[in-house]
Amino acid sequence: MKRVLKQTSLAVAAVLAAPAVWAECSPDFSGVEITATTQTGPYIASALQNAAKGWEAQTCGKVKVVEFPWSELYPKIVTTLASGDDAFDVIAFAPAWAPDFTPYLSEMPASYQEGEDWQDIAPVYRESLMVWNGKVLSQTMDGDVHTYTYRIDLFEDEANKAGFKEKYGYDLAIPATWTEYLDIAEYFQDNVDGVWGTAEAFRRGGQQFWFLFSHAAAYTSHPDFPGSMFFDPDTMDAQINNPGWVKGLEEYIRASKLAPPSALNFSFGEVNAAFAGGQVAQSIGWGDTGVIAADPEQSKVAGSVGSAVLPSAREVYNYKTGEWDTFDEVLNTPFMAFGGWQAAVPEMSGKKDAAWDFISYLSSPEVSGEATVTGGTGVNPYRISHTTNMERWASIFSEREAKEYLGAQQASVTADNVALDMRLPAYFSYTEILEIELSKALSGDVTPQEALDTVAAGWNELTDDLGREEQLAAYRASMGLN
Amino acid sequence: MTREDPVKHFFLWPAVLIVLVMAIFPLIYSLANSFMSLRLIPPRPARFVGLENYADLMVDDRFWQVVSTTSFIAFTSVTLQFVIGFAIALSLVKRVPGADFFRVSFLLPMLVAPVAVALVARQILNPTMGPLNQLTSFFGFSNLPFLTETKWALGSLIVVEIWQWTPLVILLLLAGLQSLPEDVYEAAELENASGWQQFWGITFPLMLPMSAAVYFIRVVESFKIIDTVFVMTGGGPGISTETLTLYAYQEGFKKFNLGYTSALSFMFLAVVLIISLVYLAILKPHLEKYK
Repeated sequence: MKRVLKQTSLAVAAVLAAPAVWAECSPDFSGVEITATTQTGPYIASALQNAAKGWEAQTCGKVKVVEFPWSELYPKIVTTLASGDDAFDVIAFAPAWAPDFTPYLSEMPASYQEGEDWQDIAPVYRESLMVWNGKVLSQTMDGDVHTYTYRIDLFEDEANKAGFKEKYGYDLAIPATWTEYLDIAEYFQDNVDGVWGTAEAFRRGGQQFWFLFSHAAAYTSHPDFPGSMFFDPDTMDAQINNPGWVKGLEEYIRASKLAPPSALNFSFGEVNAAFAGGQVAQSIGWGDTGVIAADPEQSKVAGSVGSAVLPSAREVYNYKTGEWDTFDEVLNTPFMAFGGWQAAVPEMSGKKDAAWDFISYLSSPEVSGEATVTGGTGVNPYRISHTTNMERWASIFSEREAKEYLGAQQASVTADNVALDMRLPAYFSYTEILEIELSKALSGDVTPQEALDTVAAGWNELTDDLGREEQLAAYRASMGLN
Repeated sequence: MTREDPVKHFFLWPAVLIVLVMAIFPLIYSLANSFMSLRLIPPRPARFVGLENYADLMVDDRFWQVVSTTSFIAFTSVTLQFVIGFAIALSLVKRVPGADFFRVSFLLPMLVAPVAVALVARQILNPTMGPLNQLTSFFGFSNLPFLTETKWALGSLIVVEIWQWTPLVILLLLAGLQSLPEDVYEAAELENASGWQQFWGITFPLMLPMSAAVYFIRVVESFKIIDTVFVMTGGGPGISTETLTLYAYQEGFKKFNLGYTSALSFMFLAVVLIISLVYLAILKPHLEKYK
């Protein structure tokens, strides 16, 4: 009898509690399991996993995160999509792969493309990197733009200020142009013991080409000819050996001479170590540098980490006229290096509603905001709100550091002339040709012009091999020109 | 059960099938791919191209450069491994004080994963933070470009290869030396043969078959070098330290040009096979002489 009473009580309690449980599932995806795939963690994968826990609690659905090593991720996704398999409901991928994936992706439901949260996404992502031929096919889940980092203590030292002004004739300050950047590098290299001028990645296979792109963007991303930085958007002829690129490469090589002696072997990890180790006065790279350098456990310069947008130029090469166009002011031209991981839902997925809802949750201001300050997620700011919530960043930065870091991030992704990274089918074939010649130019085996002429010839040959019309269509779509 | 008993097929065929599936099928599959144009980026349907991939490889300057680089690294490092290894094995075979300790400590490097060795080497050779350059700077020399100039980078790779794999040579040669007959040396002693004469007259000839095998195994293994190069130089500067396997990796796993990569793998096999045949042909008369 006692047992019957107990069971009856439990049943009544369960019935009474049921509406409360249903109310918690909003929207209700009970019994729905979606499969998300990305690279092996922690970077990006842990962001998906952390968001999965919250989404599961909110919707009663399930998320299975399947991770593949970086080298396996592309073939795994592309073969799954091309074969019409519905193995993945959410794919998180590098933006350079977008041209190969977009034919198989579903469009983001219109309900997610409105409201404050939508407007909160920085325009360069919302209007360019997430859009393909006029359709929103993916959601940015990580922001990637190159910015500038410098040592506040060195820049504000009175002796340095006086010494710099005496030598160069203008005040030591955050560089507005690449010329000023190199002057600053030279000054610290020559005048401050134990400090080298700058740090950038120069190692083949160590993200080197994105650093060249950042230099070259200032001279080749013409505001009147969007999308013409890498190729002529009408003919698909390579532009990489034009005078703007040559100037960018010359300055990149000059920067390598003003960096620590080992810099030719620097990948981005070493750039961070050099800056956080107090070896250099300044550096360029992704937002990770500022976060690592501000952490007293990893850094010798915590408390003195300043940030700004990338240096730029007043003169931009006009590929149509073959002349240099001069502007009254420095043209702010940040470079969207890599462009940030994208999340999308394949057309073949049978659980598109749940999948898009999960992506919406993952990229919501609150969840993504927490991810930007959570170590190991690899998520950098991509929403305006990521860069305005000072309270969230107070745990990492001092007030001034936070203000400069977030200001640099925001100013970069909202700049009118922000330059987009190259996204093309066979992306790695293009960048490999560049990397090989870049290494030769850096080690002085060939001149910058010779190196870039070889790259241009290689790129044109590759474009013909892959189909010029197809490549042109993909390039124009990637630059938002269709 | 007799030889004609049909039940033998019941026992034989599973083994034959397993060998076919596990060993032969991947090779045949890869060989078939080498006759196809098979790209994952951008995704294209596979297309039969016959010997086109091989023809492209034959006129690919980069392929011949990596063959040359790989051969240089392999033959230089293995030759030095052999010379150093033989010398150390000779000293260890003698009853010297602390021989057991040295035997164990000399073998340690080969127990470490090549990637770990390369990471340690990269740190040691770091021009600013590495102890080697700190030492050279202390004596007034400028920072040496160990990994960023071709000659230095090749030299650094060879040194790391020698450091890691000489212990294996020592181990094998030591086993050979310990199996040599004592009485031949006793006879030589009676004839007042010097140590040098004993080495060239007895030790070296008797060790020749073993030495040839050790050298051969190490050369074949050295041709597969990838992890050390990948970590230390990434194949740079340019492609000056790129090896055959690293090139295959770049083609296969970065560019996903699978048909070309399969052809590259078989060309790799051909290169190693040709070198092996030439090596054995050169050595054959000497081996016959000391049989």
